[in-house]
Amino acid sequence: MQGLSMKRTIALAVGLAAGGAWLLAQQEAVIRVKVDLVVLSFTVTDSKGRYVNGLKPADFRIKEDGIVQKIATFAAGNQPAMEVLEDGSLRPLTGATAVADASSPGLDRPDAFVGTSVFVLFDTSNFMYRGFVYAEDAIADFVRGLDRADSVAIYTFSRNLSRAANLTKDRNDAIVGLRNSVAGDDTALYNALLLTLRDAAKVPGRKVVIVFSNGPDNASMVAPDDVRAVAEDEGIPIYVISTNEVNRDPISSNVFRRITSRTGGKAYWAKTWQKQVEAFESIREDLGNSYTVTYYPKANPNEGFRKISVEIVSDVAKKYRVRARPGYRPRLGS
Amino acid sequence: MEAIKTVVAIVALLLVGLPGSGEASDRLEQARRLVASGEARAARELLAEAASRGTLESLREYAEFLDRFGDAEARAAYARLWEAETDQNRKQAITRRLATLDYLHGDPASARRRLESLGVKPPAAARPAAEEAETIVIPGPLRSFSRMAAISRDLRPEEVLPAVARNVVTNGYQASSSNDALDQTEYLKLVHRYLSQARELTKLAGDAGVLLIENCESEKVGELLKILGYRMRGGCGAEVVLETVNASRAFLTTDSGFPLAELENALRTNRKFEYPYHPTRIPVLYGAKYWLGATRERGGQSEFIDLFLNDPQLCRLYLGFSKLDAETADQMRQGIPAQRIKAFSHVLDFFGGMFEIRQGKAAFPGGARAESAWADLVGVPPAKGVEFYEKLLAKDDGWLCSLYDALMRIEGPVQEYLTEPARMKRFYSAVRGRVTSPGPARPVFRSNADMMLLTTRLVVRSGQPHVPGGIEVWKDLFLKHPHGKYDGKLTRLATAWKEPDDVLEALFALTRKAVENEPLKTFMAISDLDRRRAKPLEPATVDRLARAYRALGSQYAIFNDAPSLTDRTILQFLDVATAVSKSGDNLQRGNTAGALQGLIGIWQILSRHGVLPEAKVDETLHAILTSFANVKDYVQIFDAARAGVRTLLAACGAAGAEDEQAKLLDLLAGVASPRDAESHQLVVQEMTRVLEAQRVVSLKLIFDLADNLEAVAKGEKLNTQLANRLAARLGEIQMPRAALTTAEKNALSFGYWTERHIEEQRKLNIRGQIERAANDAERLKKLRGLLTPVLRDTLVALNYAHYAPPGAQVLYTNPQFVRSHDFLGAQGTNQMWRPTEIAGTGWPANAGGRLVGSLSGLAYALAEAEQNFLVPSQTQALIWGDLVPQMILSAKIPRWWNVTPNQMHWVGLHLRYGRSLVAEAAWDAALRPAVLESLRRQAPPKRARLVEIYWAAGDVAAALDEVTPAEYFALAADLAGKAEDHVLGSEIRRLAQAHPQEVNYESISVAFGTPKPTLANSYRPELLRLRTFPTLMGYSSRIMAESWESNTLYWASLADEAYLQPSQLNLLVPEWTQKVVERIFASHLEDWPALLRSLRTVGEDVRDASRKQAQLRAGAGL
Repeated sequence: MQGLSMKRTIALAVGLAAGGAWLLAQQEAVIRVKVDLVVLSFTVTDSKGRYVNGLKPADFRIKEDGIVQKIATFAAGNQPAMEVLEDGSLRPLTGATAVADASSPGLDRPDAFVGTSVFVLFDTSNFMYRGFVYAEDAIADFVRGLDRADSVAIYTFSRNLSRAANLTKDRNDAIVGLRNSVAGDDTALYNALLLTLRDAAKVPGRKVVIVFSNGPDNASMVAPDDVRAVAEDEGIPIYVISTNEVNRDPISSNVFRRITSRTGGKAYWAKTWQKQVEAFESIREDLGNSYTVTYYPKANPNEGFRKISVEIVSDVAKKYRVRARPGYRPRLGS
Repeated sequence: MEAIKTVVAIVALLLVGLPGSGEASDRLEQARRLVASGEARAARELLAEAASRGTLESLREYAEFLDRFGDAEARAAYARLWEAETDQNRKQAITRRLATLDYLHGDPASARRRLESLGVKPPAAARPAAEEAETIVIPGPLRSFSRMAAISRDLRPEEVLPAVARNVVTNGYQASSSNDALDQTEYLKLVHRYLSQARELTKLAGDAGVLLIENCESEKVGELLKILGYRMRGGCGAEVVLETVNASRAFLTTDSGFPLAELENALRTNRKFEYPYHPTRIPVLYGAKYWLGATRERGGQSEFIDLFLNDPQLCRLYLGFSKLDAETADQMRQGIPAQRIKAFSHVLDFFGGMFEIRQGKAAFPGGARAESAWADLVGVPPAKGVEFYEKLLAKDDGWLCSLYDALMRIEGPVQEYLTEPARMKRFYSAVRGRVTSPGPARPVFRSNADMMLLTTRLVVRSGQPHVPGGIEVWKDLFLKHPHGKYDGKLTRLATAWKEPDDVLEALFALTRKAVENEPLKTFMAISDLDRRRAKPLEPATVDRLARAYRALGSQYAIFNDAPSLTDRTILQFLDVATAVSKSGDNLQRGNTAGALQGLIGIWQILSRHGVLPEAKVDETLHAILTSFANVKDYVQIFDAARAGVRTLLAACGAAGAEDEQAKLLDLLAGVASPRDAESHQLVVQEMTRVLEAQRVVSLKLIFDLADNLEAVAKGEKLNTQLANRLAARLGEIQMPRAALTTAEKNALSFGYWTERHIEEQRKLNIRGQIERAANDAERLKKLRGLLTPVLRDTLVALNYAHYAPPGAQVLYTNPQFVRSHDFLGAQGTNQMWRPTEIAGTGWPANAGGRLVGSLSGLAYALAEAEQNFLVPSQTQALIWGDLVPQMILSAKIPRWWNVTPNQMHWVGLHLRYGRSLVAEAAWDAALRPAVLESLRRQAPPKRARLVEIYWAAGDVAAALDEVTPAEYFALAADLAGKAEDHVLGSEIRRLAQAHPQEVNYESISVAFGTPKPTLANSYRPELLRLRTFPTLMGYSSRIMAESWESNTLYWASLADEAYLQPSQLNLLVPEWTQKVVERIFASHLEDWPALLRSLRTVGEDVRDASRKQAQLRAGAGL
C-alpha cells in the first residue's frame, strides 16, 4: 500500500503551482512550432586540466554526425551571447536578431544567454535524514557562491518533487526556499530529476542540474538512462554531489558517474557534506569557464541519436581537451 | 472560437427577428433552444439584450436565466427586476431569492437586511463554532507544530487535536523488538523534541511573545542560535553564515519551518530580527480534565499535549469521540467514565461514526421491527441510549458493532432484508464466530472490510437476495470447490442449504476473514455482473465463472462494460483465455495474450462509450474470440489479430478504412462522429503523441507489409520502402543493457521475457528472411508471422494511449514502456490474466518500472505509475496514493462526447439547487426537516448535526462547506419534486418532463458517474449514491476513493456555470483533476475534506478565469 505517509516519513513540498490560465488556454488555438535549435555547452582544458579561456568561434568546428554546423550564437563563460556573423565576427544579440522558440519563452531576450540557470535538486528522502541539515548548509554555501549572473532554482524531492524556490537571481529567495524543506519518505530520484530537466528545458540559455543525493533510488518509475537521454537531448549537464555513503551502493555510484559524464557534467563525493568545497569550486569553475554555442542543425536524415563532436581547429589548441555531451536525439514533431 | 459562435448565434437571432412585447415566451423558448444546442452564452446575450430594454418580463427571464447558470451577475439582475416589479408578492419573492444568493455569495449581512425587510427572522450572526470550547496550550506557533505533527495547515482549530490523535494512533508507535510494549516511532520522538525546543524558544521570547534580535551584536544572538542548533561563521557583517553545530536541534529548527534564512539575512545586514513566538491555544473536546481522567499519568509538570501524545489509547478514544455529533458525544461522556470507555476506544474509533442519540434514545438500523432484535443482541434496548452504546462497544471485541455500522450505512430494501430480526441474529452469529478475538478493530485498518462491501453490493429484489445462478451453484461450489476446502464448517453446512439466507449466512461468516474468502469475492463479482444485466446469467455460466474466478476473476469487469453479452460469449471467453494460458512457448504465449487482450481492451473501450453499436457488441467479441480459439503459431496469431482489427472497424461502420490505425484512434477518442471536431482532434493528437513516443509501428505499415509479403510469395517484388520503414522504426528500440556495468547487469533479474520480446523485434530482418526463404512460396507466405510481436505491441499501445494519464511522463520518457508490458511475469509464474501491477520501480539499473499482468487494470496501473510525477503545491503535502489513481481514472475513463448540454445543465441545476436549499434552510424552519432528512441519508450524523449547528449560528457559509457536491446532487434530486415555484427546482422538473429520454437520473449516472473497479467490479461509469467509505484493510483508500462521486458532478456544474460545452470536459476534466491532486493537503488517509477543499479551490480558479475571459469578451465588444 502506498498512501499518505507521515512526516519523518513525509516530505514537505513547497510548491509553486504550475501556472496557466486553464480555461483561456483551452479555448484559444495553440500553434506549435518545432524549432531545432541546439544549445551546446562545453569546457576546454589543457593537458594539465586547466580551463582554457579566450577561444573564439572560429577556433571551433562543430559537427553533428560528421556534418559541419554553422554556429549561430557564441558565449564564453558568463558573458552575454553574441551572434556569429557569416565572416565569423561577433555582434551583440538584440531582440530582433535573437533566436525565437515558441516553446521557450524568453529566448528572444538578448540577455537570455547571460549566466547559467542552475537547478539544484536536493534529496530530502529518508536516506538523507542524518545528513539533512549539513547538506542544507552545503547547498546554501553553494548558492551563495554562484556567479552574480547565474539564476538558481531549488527543488527538493522524496517520493514527489517540490519546487521550493523557482528560478531566481535573488540568493535569499533561493535560500528561504531551501530552508523550508523537510526530510522524509521514499526516494524517487530519477522521477524528480526528469521533472527538473523538463522544467529546465523550458528555460532559455545555458542551464545545469545539480543533484545533492546519496542515492539509492527506491521509488522511481523511470530508469536513470532514460532520464540521462532527456538531459542529453536537451543539452543540460547533470552534476551529482554525494558523500562517500553513496559507495555503499555501487550501482548508484556507477549510475551517477554515467549520467553525469554522458551529459557533460561530473559526479563528486567527499567524506562528509561539510567537505564539498572542492566540488562546489569545480562546478563553479565549470560554469564560469564553459563555452556555449547554438546552431540550427543542417539537414540530417538521422532521426535517432545524433553524435556531436566539438573540434578545435587552431594548431596551437589541438592538444586541448573538450568536454561536451556526446549527442542528442532530435525532438519528435507534434 | 467560443466568441465567434456566440456572435453567429446572435446574428442568426437578429435575422429571424427579435421578439417584441408579448413575445416573451418565444424569446424564452429561443433561449432554451440555444441552451439545448450548447449555445448557453448566446442565450445569455439574447436575454441580456432583451433585458436592456427594461420590460418586466425580459428582466425576469434574464435574472432567472443567470440564476439557473449560477452566474455572478444574477444578483444584479434580480435587483433590477425588483426595482421594476410593482407586485408586492413578487417583490417579496425576489427579495427572498436575493437573500439566498447573498448567503451563497458570502454576503450574510446583506442577506440579513433583506430578510429583516420581509419580517423574516434571520439566523443569528455568524460566530466561530468552537468559540466556547475549552482550549489547551501547545508551545510555539501552530504552523510549526502542524509541520512537525504532519497535519494540514488548512485544518480548523477544533480539527487539530483529532488529526494529531489519528497520526499518533496510526504512526506514533511500533512494536518493540525487546518486549511487548510499544516503542515511539521516529515521528513521535521528533514531535516531542520539537515541543521541548519550542518551550525553550517560548521562554526566550518572554512575556512579549516575540523573539527579538536587535542586531548582530545582540546578547540574545548566541542564546537563540544555541537553541536553534546553529552558529555564526564569520563575524557580523556581510560574511555571516549560519551553519549547523547541533544536528538534532538544527533539524528541528529547519523542519518546523523556523525562519532561519530571514534570521541569517538580518544578521548579515545587521538589522532587527523580530519573530512573534506565542504559544498556540487549540480547542479540546470537553476540556482537558475529562481526558486526564482516562490516563494513569497525572502528569506532574507535564502539559496536556505531552500526556496526550504518550497515550495512544487515549488518542484513539479522543479520535472516536471526535467522530460523534455533539449531542451524542455529550451524552456518552456524561454516561460513561473516560477510564471505562477507553478500553473500547478502538471499537468506537472504527465503528462508532454512525452512533446517534436523540432524546436519550440510540439510533439503530431496521426501524421498529428490528428494535427488539437489537435489544436482544446487545443486551440493552436502544431506548436506553448511552447504555445501549456502551454495551454495544463492549460486546465481542467489535463484531456486533461492525455489523451495526455496516447496516447503518445502507438503506432501502437491502437494509430491510438484512435487519429482519431472525435473519439479523443469524447473520450476526456467522459474523461473530466462535472466537471473537482479535476483533475487527484491532488492526490499523478495519479488518472485516468485505462485510461493508457485501452489505453495500447485495442485490435484493422483491424482498429476496439475488443469488446468481441459484443456490445449487453455490452449494456445489462449497462442496466441490476447485481449489481445496474453503472452510470446513461452511462446507458441512452447505449440504443442507435450501434458501438464499443459507448462502448469505456463509458469506457473512467469510467476511470475518481478510484473506481466504474467495467465495465471497466471487459472489460479489458475479452479483455485480447480474446487477447490470437484463437477463441474469445462466446457472451453468455462473458455475464456470465461479470456478474460474481465481484464474480469471480480474477479467470479469470487462463483461460489465457490455451487459448485453450473451452467456455463450462469456463462456467462450473463459475457454479461449484458458487455452491461451496453455498455448505454445513462453514468448508465443505472451504474444498471443498481448494481441488478444489488446483487441479485447479496444473492444471494451468502444463498447463502454457506445462507439460499438449495442447490437454488435456481443457478436464482435464472439468473432474476436473465435479467431483466437485455436491459434497455434505466429502466422495464425497475426491473422487472428488482423481479423480482430477488421471486425472491430466493421462493427463501428468503418470497414475498409484505408488507415486502420488512424480510424481506430478516432474511435478510441470515445466517439464515432464528433460534434466538437476540434476537441476530438486534440484528444486524438494526445494519443498519437504517446504512440510516437513509444516508437510504435503503425497498423497500416504492419498490414501493408503483410500484404506485400503475401504478394512476394506470389512472385512479386518486396516493397523495400515498407521494409525499410519497419527496420528504421525497430532500429529506434534501444536496449538499456549496453550502457550498464557488469554489476548492474547482474542486478538485472527481472523482466527476462520482456527483454526477449524486445530483442525478438530488434533482430527482425524482413529482407534477410526473404532472402533465406529464397523462392519457397510457402515459407514466404508465413513471413507475416514475424510481424506478430510488432502487431501485439501496437494493439497494446492503443490501449495505453487511450488511458494515458495527464502528464504521461512515463510514456513520454521510457520509449519501451509499452513493449515492456510483461504478460508472463517472473519466470515460472503465469500473470497473463492477473490484475495489472507495477513492477521494477526504484531499481536504478533496470529499464524503469513496467507493468505486469493482464490489461484488465491498465487504466488504474497507468494512473498509479504517473501519480508520483504530480507536484504537490502545498507545503508538506504528498500525493495521496490509492486515492489519486482513482481520481485520475475517473477523469480519463468517462468521455463526454455524447453528453447533451441539457444533461450538463441539469447537473448544474441540481448542485445549485442543493446549495440553495442548504442556505434557505438556515432561515426557513419549514424547509429544514426535509433537507436534514436527505442529508442524513448521505452524511454521517456528526456532519448532519454540524449543518444544523451552523444554521443555528447563522454561519451559512460553514454549513455549505460541510456538504459535498454529490450530497447536493442527491439533496436536489430528493426535493426537486416538492419545490413548486423555486426557480431552480422548477427548471429541474421542466427539463426532465420536456426531455424524458435525455434528462433522467439513469442517463446522468452514465454520463457523470465514476468507474468503480474495486467496489462494483466495473469500469463503466455510474453513480451509486453511497456514503463515503472509510479506509479498509486490503483496500486502503481505494474503496473510499471509489465511493467519492463528487468530482465529476462538480466539474459538470462548473462547466455549465462557465457556459462551456460538454465535449470540452474531455480535455478539461483531466487537467482540472491534475490541479486538484496537486493542491490536496491531507492530514491522513480519510481526509476527504482536504480533497473537497482542493476541489473548491480549483473551481474558484476556473471561475476567475471564466470571469476574466467574459470581461475580455465584453471589452472586445463580442
